[in-house]
Amino acid sequence: MSYFFQLVTSGIVVGSIYALSALGFVLIYKSSRVLNIAHGQIIASGAFITYALTVWMGIHIAVSFILSMIITFFLAMSVERVFLRRLIGEPIISVIMVTIGLMSIIDGIIYMTPFGSENFSFPEFLPKVPISFWGISISWTQMVGVVITFIMIGAFTWFFKASTVGISMRAVSDDQFASMSIGISVPKVFGLAWATAGLSAAAAGGIIGNITGLNFDVLHSFGIIVFPVVIVGGLDSIFGAVVAGIIMGLIQQFASGYLDGKWGLNGTADVLPYIILLIILLIKPHGLFGIHEIERV
Amino acid sequence: MAENRWLATGNFFTSYRAEQRIFLTNIDRLVFTCFLLLLFVWPLVFEVSNKYMLVIDTILIAIVAVYGLNLLTGFAGLISIGHAAFVGVGAYTLATFARILGSDHVLLTHYWPLMILLAGGVGAVIGAIVGLPSLRLKHLYLVIATLSFQMIFQWTINFSRFYDQGQTIAIGRVFWFAGKVTRKQHYFFWYYVILLVVVVLGFAVRNLLRSKHGRCLVAVRDNDRAADAMGIHPGFTKVYAFALSGFFAGVAGALHAYLWRGVGFESFTLHHSISYLAMAIVGGLGTLVGSFFGPVAILMLELQVENIAEFVGHYFTAIGDVATAFRPLSFGLVIVLFLMFEPRGIANWWRITRTYFKLWPFRY
Amino acid sequence: MKNKQVTFMLVGLSFLLMLGFSAQALAGETYPIALSLAITGPTSDVGSPYSKGVEDYCKYVNDEKLLGDDKLECFIRDDGYKTEVTKRNFEDFLDEKIVFYLNYSTGSTMAMRKDFDEEKIPTLPASFHAGNLVDSTYVFLPISSYSSQAVGLAEYVAANHKGSGKPKVALFLHPSAFGRAPRDDVKKAIAAGLNIDLVEIVEHGKDLDNTAMLQRFKSKGVQYVISQTVQPPVATMLKGAQSLGMIAKTYGEAGKITFLGCHYAGGPDLIGLAGSAAENYYWTTSYKLMTAPGPGTDAQLALAKRYGRDEKVAQSQNYTNGIMVVQVAVEAMRRAKTKGKKVTRASLYEEMLAMNGYNAFYPLTTVGPVTFSKTDREGVDTLQLYVAKDGVFHELGLPFASEYVKKIK
Repeated sequence: MSYFFQLVTSGIVVGSIYALSALGFVLIYKSSRVLNIAHGQIIASGAFITYALTVWMGIHIAVSFILSMIITFFLAMSVERVFLRRLIGEPIISVIMVTIGLMSIIDGIIYMTPFGSENFSFPEFLPKVPISFWGISISWTQMVGVVITFIMIGAFTWFFKASTVGISMRAVSDDQFASMSIGISVPKVFGLAWATAGLSAAAAGGIIGNITGLNFDVLHSFGIIVFPVVIVGGLDSIFGAVVAGIIMGLIQQFASGYLDGKWGLNGTADVLPYIILLIILLIKPHGLFGIHEIERV
Repeated sequence: MAENRWLATGNFFTSYRAEQRIFLTNIDRLVFTCFLLLLFVWPLVFEVSNKYMLVIDTILIAIVAVYGLNLLTGFAGLISIGHAAFVGVGAYTLATFARILGSDHVLLTHYWPLMILLAGGVGAVIGAIVGLPSLRLKHLYLVIATLSFQMIFQWTINFSRFYDQGQTIAIGRVFWFAGKVTRKQHYFFWYYVILLVVVVLGFAVRNLLRSKHGRCLVAVRDNDRAADAMGIHPGFTKVYAFALSGFFAGVAGALHAYLWRGVGFESFTLHHSISYLAMAIVGGLGTLVGSFFGPVAILMLELQVENIAEFVGHYFTAIGDVATAFRPLSFGLVIVLFLMFEPRGIANWWRITRTYFKLWPFRY
Repeated sequence: MKNKQVTFMLVGLSFLLMLGFSAQALAGETYPIALSLAITGPTSDVGSPYSKGVEDYCKYVNDEKLLGDDKLECFIRDDGYKTEVTKRNFEDFLDEKIVFYLNYSTGSTMAMRKDFDEEKIPTLPASFHAGNLVDSTYVFLPISSYSSQAVGLAEYVAANHKGSGKPKVALFLHPSAFGRAPRDDVKKAIAAGLNIDLVEIVEHGKDLDNTAMLQRFKSKGVQYVISQTVQPPVATMLKGAQSLGMIAKTYGEAGKITFLGCHYAGGPDLIGLAGSAAENYYWTTSYKLMTAPGPGTDAQLALAKRYGRDEKVAQSQNYTNGIMVVQVAVEAMRRAKTKGKKVTRASLYEEMLAMNGYNAFYPLTTVGPVTFSKTDREGVDTLQLYVAKDGVFHELGLPFASEYVKKIK
């Protein structure tokens, strides 16, 4: 039975990290209706910036973690300014494709740094002994990751619920013209959405980098891995991202825990999320918590 | 028909039939025929290295695949980032035969035109099945549904023992009237086969778009509710678009398998799906000529960048990483620049150039 | 707007029409060889130092005139781990009349076996998959195959197991042809009498968390995990195991897990990724390691220094790997020249096959001689076990060769 609970715990841990990674998609989509496929690359950049600050500049990891979030905040904002500002109002395929192009560009830039083809690992700063209770164990790295995730998610939820800027962002997502007419600067809101997404990506990158070590392939593939999470949760729901993240984390853990190695199956954790995704979409076409858009002819 | 059939200085159509002609003027037809002749004759005149023949063959195959994607995304407005998986379906149809019957079975080596058609058929069936979610899903959610198909396809191939877990499954050399196609003739032979396929399917697409079966795709793209009101069944049309696209992809997959003499899952990954999409966009979505320009541009670009990267790496060895970074960087930049400055793709340049010559010596 | 469009159009067109550059240095007789590998894309962490090894050693051969007046010309091209690009590169190399070819990935080697045979060109891939040799005659493996490595490790486990009963072993594999290469051979070796209990075979995905898997191993009593994959997943697993306190402090410690790995599942880079979790990791390869001083390692460090490589590259076993394959190619050329033969594909192939017995080749960078013959196209047959202590891999014992691999052939 403790094996089962271990799977549940690991699933929740992994799931909340997925949720944090998925948050970036939701933040951008919520206000600007753009699906940023290059998000994985931004996650990787965040992780690399954190590493560079910590190891090369010798800043304490907690400080560099926050610094990297700030740097990525502005990086993402400028990405929006340079590449996406021009495309406001273009068809959705153009916008998706621009983010795909962006993915290649960031790839190229990262290949110019040592991070492109070399492996690194963060200095260890947490106790190596895991937290254990009832035969279940979680590593400190993961625990800290989960705590940061929930702080971030809580902060963003509050931000959208209560702060003026957050509310204006929600207004833009609801109706761009109406919000323009009451004096909200729509381009600014878009920039801000990207910036906050960059911030969350840097946080996710820092956490994932601590768990897996820094390998570019592993880090940027996270952009693709969390797609099912984003979609199942509904593209515009933060709460949905959390729920779907945890669901997917659990599914993956149960799949690799109970299915792999039996009946000749292997690697089911990689494909099961997509199958579940398809099933959920067939029942609820806008994900679990996505807003059903009303279309007019 | 009173108007001059050689020159058209403006729009003088008197019937819908006239507007729907494949070639508007006889000059168009003449130029096109000459160009086609040129395509068939040039390899006989010039000596081309295997590498370039391979590149050209690859481009032609990509054109076949992009026909399908363009129909789906450009004309029917359904974005797919799983197109490489459809191509893979075609290729793996052949691989299935190769696994059961052996790579040099008569069916594969002698009846290859049949196999290519069959691969297209299987592609169409799978396409229709994958298209089913489009009955309920729209926009980004549909995009992700096609992504799911891509992932499920990759996983299935990669973990099934039958397909040797994604390792290359060999396909034998084919025979034709003059016996076995040898290594020397291989790329040459397939150039003609694929060129023929490209031409035939190109006409097929052109004609499809002249008929109601093509126009219904555009109607659904522009507004599916309005199309519904006009008596077009949007759900059926979407599934049909997926099936069409699957057919082209399947044919491309079979050609791929024959050209590379093997099927390995690495040729049908998400990366390739993205490449196809990039080709369609750079070429020009929703235009037939775009399907030609896109693959040519993207694949030539890749080649040129490789050459330049090598050249740079040769002289500035210290910045070797910069040279390798060049490829993703340029690929990304080309897509982004096109979308920002020329969202209608190279097809639009083609239109501008054509108009210029048509109106010459006047400016408008 | 119109003007902008036209400018953009012209820039685009001129770029497309720009002809490829070709830089060729002509001097006396040149022997072109070529390498196509993944400097970008998946496994680029391996490919990057590998290509530098090849490049540097080629330069070294020319600078030191190891081939007399003749020169080695080396084409290195990135294929991004894509088989199609590899094949295109190969066709291009053929037009350059290459006499020797270096390939990289398992996938492309398997896919192009037939081409190598048809072209009759000796080929050394960076993939040590035993399957490369099946149905082919011109592919040579530089060192022992993955199967030999994994079976060799399993033998080591069987011989050195401390507890009672059969040692319980799990395999941790990459989900690809490369990872699965040794799976069936390990099973065969067990059937042939190898005294281990293979409890589970795991093909890993992109998991963030291996806790469940490790706990499962523990509950099944697994004491040894043999990895055949690339470094990042191993690092994730080791970090997970470390945080669960599962890594054995000494070899075979009861109730803990001892981790072992084949060539690409270890090396100095793994320590870079996993940090202190890599401590007590057992790893095997046929290459000499920079941390074990000797004439070969001195030469390699000097080479890296001479061509301005940083320490990380110089220390990598994949840099050694790259150097070694060129060494073999150059040695074959030298032998052909001494015998007064023209350096061609055919003569090089003959020389490769003659590398055995008294004619075995000792490249200094490996732990044993390179031997090839008609029946044995695996190069270095011996393996060296290394163990990570204090952040460095140390030699453990003498080079050994797997016995069961011979039995199951």
